[in-house]
Amino acid sequence: MSEYSIIGKPTTNVDGVAKVTGEAVYTFDMTLPNMLYGKLLRSPHPHARIVSIDTSEAEKLPGVKAVITGKDTPGGKYGLWRRFRELADQEILATTKVRFIGDPVAAVAAISEDIAEKAVDLINVEYELLPAVFEPLEAIKDDAPLVHDDFENNINATRHIEWGNVDEAFKKADYVREDRFNLLTQHPAPMEVHSSIASYDKGSGRLTVWSSTQSPYFLQLGLADALKMREGNIRVIKPHVGGGFGGKNSTMPDSVNAAVLSMKTGRPVKIVFNREEEFSTTEHRTPMHLSIKIGLKKDGTLLAKEVKIITDGGAYTGLGATTLYLAGTWITFPYKTPNYRYDGFRTYTNKMWASSVRGFGAVSALYASETQIDRAAHDLGIDPIEIRRKNAMTPGYEAPGQYKVESCGLLPCIDKIEQRVKEKWARLDKDEGIGFAAFAYMSGGIFNWIDTPYAFSGAMVKVNIDGTVDLFTQASDIGQGTNTVSVMICAEELGIGIDDIRLHPADTATTLADLGAWGSRETLMNGNAIKAAADEVRDKLLDVARMKLGENIVYDLDAKDKRIYLALRPERGFSYYDIVKDAIKENDGEPLVGIGHYTPHRKGMVSPAYAMGIMGVRAKVDRETGQVEVKDVIVAHDCGQIINPLGARGQVEGSIQMGLGFGLCEDLPSENGMILNPSFVDYKLIRTREMPQIELFDVPTYDPEGPYGAKESAEATTAPTAPALANAIYNAVGVEFDSNVLRLEKVLKAIREKEEKGKGKGRR
Amino acid sequence: MANYHCPCCRKISSDPHDLARHFLGQTDSKHKDWLKTKGLSYAKLITSQVEFGNKGYDTLAEVLEKETKVKD
Repeated sequence: MSEYSIIGKPTTNVDGVAKVTGEAVYTFDMTLPNMLYGKLLRSPHPHARIVSIDTSEAEKLPGVKAVITGKDTPGGKYGLWRRFRELADQEILATTKVRFIGDPVAAVAAISEDIAEKAVDLINVEYELLPAVFEPLEAIKDDAPLVHDDFENNINATRHIEWGNVDEAFKKADYVREDRFNLLTQHPAPMEVHSSIASYDKGSGRLTVWSSTQSPYFLQLGLADALKMREGNIRVIKPHVGGGFGGKNSTMPDSVNAAVLSMKTGRPVKIVFNREEEFSTTEHRTPMHLSIKIGLKKDGTLLAKEVKIITDGGAYTGLGATTLYLAGTWITFPYKTPNYRYDGFRTYTNKMWASSVRGFGAVSALYASETQIDRAAHDLGIDPIEIRRKNAMTPGYEAPGQYKVESCGLLPCIDKIEQRVKEKWARLDKDEGIGFAAFAYMSGGIFNWIDTPYAFSGAMVKVNIDGTVDLFTQASDIGQGTNTVSVMICAEELGIGIDDIRLHPADTATTLADLGAWGSRETLMNGNAIKAAADEVRDKLLDVARMKLGENIVYDLDAKDKRIYLALRPERGFSYYDIVKDAIKENDGEPLVGIGHYTPHRKGMVSPAYAMGIMGVRAKVDRETGQVEVKDVIVAHDCGQIINPLGARGQVEGSIQMGLGFGLCEDLPSENGMILNPSFVDYKLIRTREMPQIELFDVPTYDPEGPYGAKESAEATTAPTAPALANAIYNAVGVEFDSNVLRLEKVLKAIREKEEKGKGKGRR
Repeated sequence: MANYHCPCCRKISSDPHDLARHFLGQTDSKHKDWLKTKGLSYAKLITSQVEFGNKGYDTLAEVLEKETKVKD
């Protein structure tokens, strides 16, 4: 029998009914009394100096209440990299020049969206066109136009990681190979577009913003910097959010412009991006040129790895500098790498900026490393599972000065996959292939580029006289199930039911700071904070019960099933509800409140804990058309103690869907900086009916840092999907690729080229 | 053991390569200007790292070893 009453039990989402009945309110749905609608005028040029802006015609249009340009803004620059102020490079509206097609130059507030849109068309901007740069390899050349004047060679950020003696290790290697990859982008494509409502109260000087954001706290800080306001005078409320997938971490033009327009008009202002704006002007996965060199012994033991990455950063920083660091880190996972060197360069280009998307650096990095290790295994005559087993990280593995892996279930995951693949995929049809990719991912990041003085997560628990509980947390549920996990943890600690708890989520005025939903951090970090807050209350209740029992301190008490009782004699105890009443009444009415917080300490530079696993993909390739059919997927995943198996399964399925999109069909091609497919008609996603069967094996470990031993369970399986598929395609028809997005025309071309060149297995 | 002091900030390192790593990780003008006084370019050192090998860091580490060693 499980030691837990609630943890580990499949639990439907606490907000599930509201969502499926349409009662859940998203920012997109909200209307405030006296509200105006805002629209943005965006640059049609990738790089141009603003000569003049004439707003007079727009201002004359009936129904228009305000028109603003850069000169109407407080002039503060903002961005997520607040610790390095030069990287906080965004403006509310461009003041001197525009840096990508879609850079906002003016904004309008009107009584309707239609009028606001008409007014935007009446604004006349005179531009002086500047030479533009679109490719990162061009951007770093000495004669390239500068996107930001202060950044030589358009180098926005660099990372160098090195341990061991790389050059000596390569000399000792029996086998060395180099591969180069061009990894394309992917849009987060959330169902709900970026949406914000800002309401400024001129009397108090306070601003309230409702926004579709992944982090109310990041948005509060971004607004404070942009508007030059005290952060305490800004309240951010996150209603239900229709997906983020990494694209809603930055403070974007919807919220800041709604705020400025509200300050000017004294009325609430709502800005909602249309789908074209969402695709063309919001953050997407960072594209990169990646070179990777590995040195191995004849038996497949990895001796050295060297990696160079140049990312196409676009016009601003966002979280792209973190992606650069993480890509260079994930590419060492999940293998023991005794000698490693990484150089990463993030370049500015005149395109919409690239940032984090589900998998945060790992998806592109592992596409390269997990296809390369298959190629090496092929050359050395080693089984692809065996080479992964030989180099797999084990508990306690440490990369000097970078990270330490405490719990690690990778080897059991490999054993499980090997066994299941032998059973399930013993016989393959013609042109079918199996491919594997191993993976690891963080359970929240140990990064403080936002420069917060607060704990990374905080939570408050208040117990009422009737035993009901108010749980206050700023953790962001963006559809991934954090609200449910939060309530489950609180209920488990207090020994009560989920129905006893009322959740007050994601409001900066009523909750303690939490860094938000990115890097799969909420379960571990917010979970630890809630657990600590609930424990504080629980200890108070247990003290009261102990007094009433008259037992001395050596007798442990449990709180479970709405009772508090002696652990060794469960029949001796009291109702939870009675103890709550006694605790409040007998202590002069002192409220039963607990506060908890969590910040990782002494856990290296990356994450406090790592999920691990391996995936197998079976695919069939049509040699006549190049069409790839993903038949089924088997994945073994160590995500520690699972809090909610229903939620964890959903996250794995969603990650695989997104990984398949990265591997097969999602891309944002552009011409001279213009996105060519900004709609769901032209941007191809993997749909439900195209999803393969997924067999999931949970191989849990206990991680001492996670609540109940829990780790990441939201993003990890995005990364192995595309490389496992690419390896399956190679094993099916003998063609391999140095890029993702394996559309049928690309696959067919490779098959034809291979046939023309004669026999043999591709380029390995 | 030799100690290498960053000429632009308070960073101290026992290894000139480690100090070079710190140096090129800084994007402020103080560090970049110091490089100019030694006839080096931040951008050129960085971009020389694009190819496999460690040329940019080796070059800077060599300069830092001569210029910044404080005591043994």
